Amino acid sequence: MLKRWIIPLVLCMPAAAFAQESPYFVTYDHHMEEPGNLEIEISSSTDIPRAGQRFYFAPWTEFEYGVTARWTAEVYLEGQSTWRDSTLFTGWRIENRFRALKREHWINPVLYLEYENINEADLIQKEIEGGAPDIRSPNSALRGAKDHELETKLILSSDVHDWNVAGNFIAAKNFSQDEGVEFGYSVGFSHPLATLASGSNCRFCRENFSAGAEAYGGLGSTLNFGLNDTAHYVAPVAAWLVSDNMTLRVSPGFGLTRQSSSMLFRFGLSYEIQGVGDRLARLFKGRP
Amino acid sequence: MMHRIILSASVILGILGILVAENPTYVPDATWHAPDTAAARLNPLATRPGAVRGGKKLFLRNCAECHGQDGTGMAKKHSANFYLSVVQEQSDGALFWKITNGNADRGMPSFSKLPELERWQLVLYLRMLNQQPLSSTR
Repeated sequence: MLKRWIIPLVLCMPAAAFAQESPYFVTYDHHMEEPGNLEIEISSSTDIPRAGQRFYFAPWTEFEYGVTARWTAEVYLEGQSTWRDSTLFTGWRIENRFRALKREHWINPVLYLEYENINEADLIQKEIEGGAPDIRSPNSALRGAKDHELETKLILSSDVHDWNVAGNFIAAKNFSQDEGVEFGYSVGFSHPLATLASGSNCRFCRENFSAGAEAYGGLGSTLNFGLNDTAHYVAPVAAWLVSDNMTLRVSPGFGLTRQSSSMLFRFGLSYEIQGVGDRLARLFKGRP
Repeated sequence: MMHRIILSASVILGILGILVAENPTYVPDATWHAPDTAAARLNPLATRPGAVRGGKKLFLRNCAECHGQDGTGMAKKHSANFYLSVVQEQSDGALFWKITNGNADRGMPSFSKLPELERWQLVLYLRMLNQQPLSSTR
């Protein structure tokens, strides 16, 4: 009974932790969560639809935990609300990222493995693989179609003169439907607005901001490889370190094909809690 | 059936992750050496002592969690004490390389996400620790 209350309290206890995140929403770089730290992020995707498409708001909550210095695990809870339709929980996913090399190199590979248990109404578009997501059909027609999907990514990332350049290559297999293996991509670059830290605890100085751009989209599948009927976006990205443990990210994405939304606005607020692993270990091992 | 297997594997992976998350007992890693070319690099901020104030801020944000607010290390984390000669005798370039690359085997993450000059600011601050009494860093 005691632990039932203590665990959430321990996990929610605020503690200073450096939460400067990369500004990307879709592209992953090689920087991992610090070991034992938990980052909680609330994000959303909102579209400006083209003719015939639906206007939706798709929020998700992300729990990112640094298992080791080279292994980060995440859990997502996802939903969406469609204008003049309905609001629903669309599913969850678990992902793991493994940094392949111990040291920094010109190109740093990271292996990514994810399991998704979502339905076809899911619209967070955390990544795009295969064809375009269905943003024309009503939720009632989509919510019944389940996707049990295994997704892999090869993440290649490089830091050159304070620029980060990253590319992700996606392959996903949906075990619920015969869609073949679907492919997708995302690429991005970013740079901090200042590279020297000031001595003051300013919040609006340039060192707390980073900006860049990313592009992402689908590449079809083994059944229909190529750019036909795929969605693609190009999106400026920006991040602001609001406080030592909080980062705000924004990104307006511009749809490049008819299957894309006209625009896709993304917003994210993350909060990092340090030492969660140690606290849990103490709790369950009874250490002082 | 397949998705149940995948789900089970994911959950086991997650639990395993939490179990192995602790840092191992600290023992100085004899294999953790900066390459000669990296160790020979000079701190470009060496002539800008004012930058150390930013270094202190970065230290408190990024390093204090494991090395303590005063840099003396934390027994429970088995982290290094920056006042020790085994740390201070290393070159600026070697410290910069270690901050940049981390030592994943011993639980130290890479801080390459920080801009280069900020990592040099951290080196500047580590040097300053050795030049002042402990109480003034607190």
